[in-house]
Order: sequence, then structure tokens, then C-alpha cells
Amino acid sequence: MSTPAASVSTETGPATSTNTAWRRFRRHRLAMAGTATILVLALGCFLGPYLLPFDDTYIDILQRFAPPLSGVHVLGTDELGRDILARLMMGGRISLAIGFLAMAVAMAIGIAVGVIAGFYGGWLGSALMRFVDAVLCFPTIFLLLALAALTEPGILATTLLIAATSWMNVARIVEAQIRSLRERDFATAARSVGAGDLYIMFRSLLPNAMAPIVVAATLNVAKAILLESYISFLGYGIQPPASSWGNMLNNAQIYLTSAPWLAILPGLAITLAVTSFNFIGDGLRDALDPRLDVN
Amino acid sequence: MSDGFSGVTGPTRRGALAMGVGLAAGVSLPASLRAAQPPSAPKGQVVAGVSQEPTVFHPLMPGIEVDQGVWWQLFSTLWYIDPEGRFQPDLAKEVPTVENGGLSADGLTWKVKLRNDAKWHDGTPFTAEDVKFSIDLINNTAFRARNRVGHSLVHDIKIVAPDEIHWRMESAYSPYMSILSLFFIVPKHALEKASDPNASPFNNAPIGTGPFRWGERVPGDHIQLLANTSYHGRGPFLERIVFKYVPDLTVLYTQFRTGQIDYTGIQGVLPNFVKEAKTLPGRKLTVSPTASVEHIAPNLEFGPLADRSVREALYLAINKKGLIDALNYGLPLPTESFVPQQAWSFNKDLPAHVHDPAKANAILDAAGWKRGSSGIREKDGVKLEFSNSTTSGNAVREQTQQLLMQDWKAIGALLRISNMPAAVIWGEFWQQSKFQSVIVGVNFMLGSDPDVTPRFGSGAIPAKGGRGYNTYQYQSKEADRLLAQGAAQFDLAERKKTYGALQKLIRDDLTILPLFQSVISEGTKEGLQGFSPNINTSSNCWNMREWYWA
Amino acid sequence: MLPYLIRRLGQALVLLLIVSMLGFAILHLAPGGPLSQFALSSQMSPEDIARISHQLGLDRPLPVQYADWLWRMLQGDWGTSYRDGSAVLYVIGSHLRATFELMATATLIACLLGCWVGILGAIRRYSLFDTLATVGAMVALSIPTFWFGLVAIYIFSVTLGWLPAGNRHTVGDDSLLDLMHHLIAPALVLALVEMAIWARFMRSSMLDVIGQDYIRTARAKGLPEWSVLSRHALRNALLPMITVAGLQFPTLLGGALVAETVFTWPGMGRLFLDSIAYRDYPVVMGILMLSAAMVMLGSLIADLLYAVVDPRIRME
Repeated sequence: MSTPAASVSTETGPATSTNTAWRRFRRHRLAMAGTATILVLALGCFLGPYLLPFDDTYIDILQRFAPPLSGVHVLGTDELGRDILARLMMGGRISLAIGFLAMAVAMAIGIAVGVIAGFYGGWLGSALMRFVDAVLCFPTIFLLLALAALTEPGILATTLLIAATSWMNVARIVEAQIRSLRERDFATAARSVGAGDLYIMFRSLLPNAMAPIVVAATLNVAKAILLESYISFLGYGIQPPASSWGNMLNNAQIYLTSAPWLAILPGLAITLAVTSFNFIGDGLRDALDPRLDVN
Repeated sequence: MSDGFSGVTGPTRRGALAMGVGLAAGVSLPASLRAAQPPSAPKGQVVAGVSQEPTVFHPLMPGIEVDQGVWWQLFSTLWYIDPEGRFQPDLAKEVPTVENGGLSADGLTWKVKLRNDAKWHDGTPFTAEDVKFSIDLINNTAFRARNRVGHSLVHDIKIVAPDEIHWRMESAYSPYMSILSLFFIVPKHALEKASDPNASPFNNAPIGTGPFRWGERVPGDHIQLLANTSYHGRGPFLERIVFKYVPDLTVLYTQFRTGQIDYTGIQGVLPNFVKEAKTLPGRKLTVSPTASVEHIAPNLEFGPLADRSVREALYLAINKKGLIDALNYGLPLPTESFVPQQAWSFNKDLPAHVHDPAKANAILDAAGWKRGSSGIREKDGVKLEFSNSTTSGNAVREQTQQLLMQDWKAIGALLRISNMPAAVIWGEFWQQSKFQSVIVGVNFMLGSDPDVTPRFGSGAIPAKGGRGYNTYQYQSKEADRLLAQGAAQFDLAERKKTYGALQKLIRDDLTILPLFQSVISEGTKEGLQGFSPNINTSSNCWNMREWYWA
Repeated sequence: MLPYLIRRLGQALVLLLIVSMLGFAILHLAPGGPLSQFALSSQMSPEDIARISHQLGLDRPLPVQYADWLWRMLQGDWGTSYRDGSAVLYVIGSHLRATFELMATATLIACLLGCWVGILGAIRRYSLFDTLATVGAMVALSIPTFWFGLVAIYIFSVTLGWLPAGNRHTVGDDSLLDLMHHLIAPALVLALVEMAIWARFMRSSMLDVIGQDYIRTARAKGLPEWSVLSRHALRNALLPMITVAGLQFPTLLGGALVAETVFTWPGMGRLFLDSIAYRDYPVVMGILMLSAAMVMLGSLIADLLYAVVDPRIRME
């Protein structure tokens, strides 16, 4: 079953040249702001800890709940006296890494399923898309149960869980794209020269379907970061003492009134990152979709 | 056989006072709670907030602590134990003892006289038939009873009069008196007609003899109970009680603050809110001890933890004071024993914990645990490395784990944290000893009886096919000897000595690493009188019949 | 049309069967069970737990349990909850009303506000309003719900005292006004997060339509701008919103787990969470089947409506 929304966007022409795309992307101010933010965040999280004097796991229970800007700890300390800036950075590493990893896994599975279903169509394609529909019927928290049977909570479990909830939409988008592209001239031409199925699928068709895939990818990173905090809320997230923005936010709940910075800071980080990725996705959509060349 | 409560002979006032210690546990009531006078007719309502939903309303079926809170309002027991540890009759006219003829000298024949003025909520009079029915029901193999401990020994139940019941025990069993103090009686006339004893309309429209009767229930939201004006005892003084389910503890506290809740029950006010709660205008906070002992449970068959010197070193390296004062805001009571400090069997002479990392290091060095290149100790190829688990989402426990991790790293032990949701951790993982170590709070007592054979007996290891819950996999001949001895003794003084020795043994062997005895902080709105924590009943809601608004 | 419907129905039934099998397997294979909650209690030993497990039929082989469940299900017996013994349908039904109240209100607010923001943003593309609205909507979409909810409670309930700190109604008060008073905070929190989705879809759909030839023609004909926009553009731009509505349909009865926990709203989301936490298998399966059916129904309705409304779409 095709979603009408997907069918509307199947009329992309040949891939837009990267130059034009880049120029259009640059014009999208919010997307540029988003990119800059992500770069700053990523750099801060990956390089920052080397510059800081504090370790993110060093506990000092005499220094609990120091507010930001009150002493040596720039952003204050948390419920165990650990430096929050250090934890934000190390947590950022994990959250951003999970975001990208989960996206990559979801993309891989989704693209594989979508391409095969879209290319072969018929019985196989139908069965695959029905399977996608079946998995879509399971709420996230239920998929968490499936994971509980396989692994312990932690980075791997979180990544797998997020990927498991995101690959379905990718598969749908890809399948719709491939299905419309496979009858096009360049595909027929490739086939007439004797190219094998795999070649046509992955070297001929897929590159032309990249636009919505790239957009979906960035949006999936955004969703992944948000989902990570949801999974921490459900009790299956990153294990202590490692910090992630999600589990920092979760742990800060009970201190919302007594030490609000514990919740505000990771919340801000999450919102900033997710918003930025969403804008980047928007910008990419505008940049790669030539139909939006209106007046 | 001596005076005073031995579990088989009933308690005598003289005996109890002579013992000097609380019979079960003693908590004194603050005088202010007796200030105003209760109203002559039930007035007003109390909204009790609880963070778990009560779902079981048949008091003989498996239920959790919140369910008990509701049972205390709907049903009655033959007798109950008050906060001072004294047995008080409820449906029974008097508590059976050897002196009043209720108990035979050998503890095998019981003759219980019952009230004849108690009525079920539908008007039917309560009789001895109901008591017999309840005991028979629990022994009915088709019935999903919680457990049959004690009840399975009862046979030959004779109803000599509507208000008198006799039975015989197969063998004398000390804890049965206190087991009966938590045994709610169910109505024969309402339940005998059900074809399936486990599923009857009674389960969701219960009929009891308690101070409150069933009002309504909105699943997932609240339960409303209404005053039973023909209650046979003192009270009730409230028209209505509403048990409101609020799943999030922070939100529970917030609703208490804004006044939407009059009383915070299970799991009470979180420790980090207690200080602020005490200063809230129009609110009162009561911190009371529970029978639960928070400890680190090692799997004694797992690598490094099987070595006693390792456990000793780990225990020395724990900063217990920091744990209690900082993470728990100084509320719980440090302890060395698995017995609550208010119990008669508590041994107060156990060696106190000292925080001495230097000594810990020395012990490990002497035992052959050498530091490796990474700083983690090793012996015979085994690393001093293990995992610790607890229920995920428990903020204070997770902080405890991380503090332990740092303290133990200093002595060369590597701790890994592996938390999981409650349904997972308490499943096979705990029951079949698949864990390496767990932080857990356990009430070791059976009622108020210190018989811990199912917890420490070598025949009680489920992972080895035993019957019990010795998930620590503790095996000690001396412990087995003491356990057998204690269960067969009836003299209170002798039992105290036996169980005292057992506590010392467990402490010396460091079967568990005891941290503290838990407390519960409960908030009430100012003006609410009658609230009285009771460590001897299964819920601090036990006496809601005596609550009233001043 | 009819053969298409029948085919879709057939596919849906097959899907439901697959979902039920997968769901049943996952549920029972996940560690822990309905009796784990008693593992620590002194009142129940592992033997008692095993005994009750057997009485509940939980030690039978999985295919047998599944077949039993399926057979009863086909006869209309959805089972009884392990927790309170009442019928699964009753448990679910008693939560449906609360869920519907919350989700319908939230979706309505999100849709109205979102579409309005989207339309205006499309008309005045790249203006200050558009940028602010886009940023605002995007930020709202990026905030974790439980954080948002807790902050809202703290500000509006604890500090200002304007709104209650959760619950669906004040005990003893069943009036509509009381319900609405309690509905404000959770519905708004949910709506603000959802709004962004509606706004974005509406905006892009509107932009699509505005760029079409027939709009240019209408303008060329000299029609006033508002007429062009409202009569020609808007009506066409609203069509894809039907898909969005269809995608939102399952959440209408699925509830919002996090918002319900934070605002103590007795809805389906929290029922699901609690049932999973306590491994109340019958209720979990019931909710799963219901939500799967909702998802399929939602997408079928969306596809049908779209086809009915847009003759260019053919039903293959």
C-alpha cells in the first residue's frame, strides 16, 4: 500500500547537480544555522573533554548540586558532585554517536528492504511491504521488550532499539521511489546493456533516489536523539556511570525544583541538536528537490 | 514454656512488660496525634496518593503492598499487632493464650472465641463459618493462594458455636500467631457459590467486615471506599477514602504540595524532597522505619565474591556514612543486621562498620589479590571484577552504585553497573541466582518472626533445586544448625539467643553487605489526625478507620 | 472499488495474524513474567510462584498457549487481566474514554494551530512570521515531552496555582468544566509538540499548490488574492492533510505514554506501560491487537479518502 504523500514526491527528475544543491542549501538560513550548531556541538563534545580539568565520572559528594557559575565548575555539579560540563560533553559524544549509528543501521536496513521491494515488485515486493506494515504496528515500548530478550541495556541496546523503530519509514520512502524509477529510461537502458539486477538496483536506481533518502537520514538522526531520552525514561538507556543527554535529563527529573540546571542543560543540548538536525533536513529537502524552484 | 509472648502462648501484659523489649516492634506515638476529638459521625474524605496501582481485592490472593493498604479498610483479621507490638483482638473476642484456655500447652489445639456483633458489608452476620471457610479456601489446591505457610498445618476445624471455632495444628508452629494477624477473613456466603474460586465477581466488588466498604473503582485512576456505619470496632470517622494512583513519584509529591492529595502513601516522599516537605505550610511529614533492610546481595558462588576476604575488603571500603547522609539525606538507620532494629530478636552487639580503605587494601594484599597493570586486582587468573544490578529508574540506588564503583576502584575492585526494569531483574535473574551482585531491600521477617530458613538455609537455594529463596547461595552448617534450633524453640529468651548468634554469624561471614534499614517518609495534610505508622502490619494504612479531620 | 476493499481487508487480516504471532512470541520470550513482582516478598516463595505460574498456564509450551489465546480471541474472548482479574476488554474500555478526550483535544488544537501557522508561513514565505513560526514549531518538536510537562506543572501548578498538577478530574467532581480545567495542561503540551508536524506538512503542501499553474491562471484572471488562496489553493492544499490525519489516527487511541505519566492521566498509553511492566500478557496482547487494527484502519481510511477526493489517484 502506498502512501499518497510518498506518491506525490515520486516525480523527481534526474539528480540535481551537487553545485546547484549546495547553493540552494546555502540560501536556507536556518539550515546553515543548524549545520553550524551541530559542528560546534560535535567539536565541543569530542574535543572538549581533553581541555577540561575535570573528569566526568569523578564523584565528590561534598560538592553536590553546585549551581552554575558559582565556583570552579562552570556549569555546576550534579547529584553526585560531578562536573556538568564534562558530563554534557561526554554525554554528547554518546548521544550524537548513537544518533548517527542508529540512523546508519536504520538506513541500511530500510534501503535494503526498500530497494528489493521496489525493484522486484510483485509477490516479493508486496510481502516485504506487508512485513514493514506489520512492524509498524508495534509501539516502541513493545519493541523494547523484544530487545530485552536479546541484550542488556546500554549503548548497543539503545542503538538497536532506535534503529528498529526508524527503518520502516525509510523502507517505505525508498520503495516508492525505486518503484517509480525502475520504469524510467536510464533503468531500461541499463537493463538492455545486460546489467545485472544488483547493479541496476544499487548503481543505477538508488543514486537517483538519494534526495528523499538524505532528507530522511538527517531527520532520523534528530528523531534518534529524542528517542534516546525516551528510552532512558523507560529504564533501558545508557548505563551509569556513563552519561548521555537522555539519561542526564531523566536523572534530573526529581531535582527539577531544587536544582533546575540539572534538567535545563541537557534539555537545552537535546533541543538544540534535534532542532538543528531538523533544519538541516529541511534545507536538504529544499536543496535537492528541484520542484521547489518556484518564482 | 514461659510467660510473655513466645509465639505459641499468647502475649500476656505481664509477660510483655517483663521482657522489656517490644514483642514485635515498638514505635511510640507522638502526643500531638491525640489532640482533638474524632467526630461522632463519619465526616469528610481523605485522598491517599499511591505510586503503584492496587489491583487485587481478594485478600487471600497474591498482592503487593499497596493492595494490603486497601485490604486493611475492607476486611478484618482475627487480631492485629499494634505499633507497640501488642496483639489486639479484632474479629476475635480475645487473643487466645494458654492462660485463657485459647491455646493448649503444647500449642496444638486452638480455641478462638469470636465477636458476635460483626457484620459483613451486605448485612449478613459474621460467624465462625467464615473463618473456617477462609482457612479451607487458602488450603484449597485449586485456589491461587499466596502461600499456605502455617495454614497447611491446620486441620480438624470444628465450629462449636457461631462465635467459637476450634482447630488442631499438625505441629506446633511459633509464627502462626503473627501469620494470623495478617490473615483477612473472607465471607463464605459470597464466595462459596463461585464455580472457580479464583474468578468471582467478589474480586472486583469485595465484601468484608472492615471499617470501609467498596465504593467504586476506575481502573488506572482511583478506588473509592465508603464508610461502613455498622462497623463493629472504633470508627470509621471518615465518609470516604480515595486511593489515587499517581505513577510518578515526583508528581506524587507535587500533588501533595498543591493539596490534591491529603496523604502520600507508598512509596512516600522521595528523600530529596523530605527537607522541603517538612517546611511546607499546612503539611506534616512522618518518617518511620520499615522492616526492609537495604543491602548488597552477593552471589556467593561467583568468582571473586566467593572469597570472604574480598567481601570483607569491599565492606570496609564502603563509605556508608556518605551513602546515608548525602545520598539518602540522613534518613535511614545504619545497620549490621538483617533484622529490623525494632524487633525483639535484634542483636545490637554486632561489630560496627568502619570505613577503612587502607585496611581493605591490606586484607586483599594479604589474601593474594595482586594489582594488575590496569589497577584491578587479580588472583589465580580471576579478576576482582563483577557486576551490580538494581531496578532501573531508582535514582538513589543508581547513585549508590556509582559511589560504590568509585570507592571500590580505590581498592582495586572493578564494578560494572547493569540495571534492568523490575520485571526482568526479579525474574529468573534474581530467583535463579543468575546475578553477580544486586542492591536490594528485603524484609527478612515472616510477619514479626525472625525465622529466615528460606533465606539462608542451605536447602533453600532455588538455583540448586532447593525450596526457598536463598538466592545468595549461602551454605553454612552452623547457620543450618542455628536455623533448625530457632524454629523448634518456643522460649523467647532462648530464641533471642539463637537468632542473635545467627545474626553474628551472618555478619561475620558477610553473607550480605548490610547498608541500612529503610525508612518511609509519609506526608499528611495538617489537620489529619490518627495517622500512626505500624511496622507490624503490612501497611501504614492499617488504621485509617481512626483517621479524622480535626 | 469493492475488490480493492476486499483485498485490503484480506491483507489486513493476514497482517493482524502475523502481528499477533510476533507479539505473542516477543512478549513471552522477554525475560521476567507476571509473577516477578512477588519475587522479593517474604509472602511468596519460588515454589508458590511456580505453583501459581502453573495454575495460570504459563508453563505450557508457547505454541499451545498461543493457540489457546487465538482460539479464544476468535470467539470474542480477549482474556482476563492477570492483575485484577477483570476482562481485558473492560480494562481497555475503561481507559479509552480518558485517552480519547486527551488525544482528540490535543490533535484538534495541533491541527488547527498547526495548519494556521503553516498556511500563513507559506503565504508569507521567509517573512519574520514564517521564520519565527518555523523555528518555534521546530523547537517544540524537539523538546522531550516529560521535561516539557514537568516544567509546565512546576510553572502553572506549583508556582502560579492556575492549573491542577495532573489528574483527570478533582475527586468527587464530574463536571465538564472540571474536566476541561484538567485537560488544558496535558492537551496543550501534547499539541505544541504535534503542531510542528501539521505546520510543516501544511506549509509544504500549500507551497506545492501555490506554485501550480492553475493558481497562476487564477491570478492572471484578476481574481482577488484572498479568493485565489482560500478557494483554489487552500482546498487543494488540504488534501495531503488527510494522509497526516490518517497517520495520526492510531495515536488517537494509543495515547501518549509520557504525557499520561507526567500528568497522571488514566489513558491507554499508561495502561500499556503498566501492563508491560507487570507483564500482564492478556492486556498487552489486547492493546497490541487494537493498536495494530487502528494503524491499518487509519492508513486504509487515508488511502480511501485521498482516492475519493483526488480523481487522479487510481486504485491499483
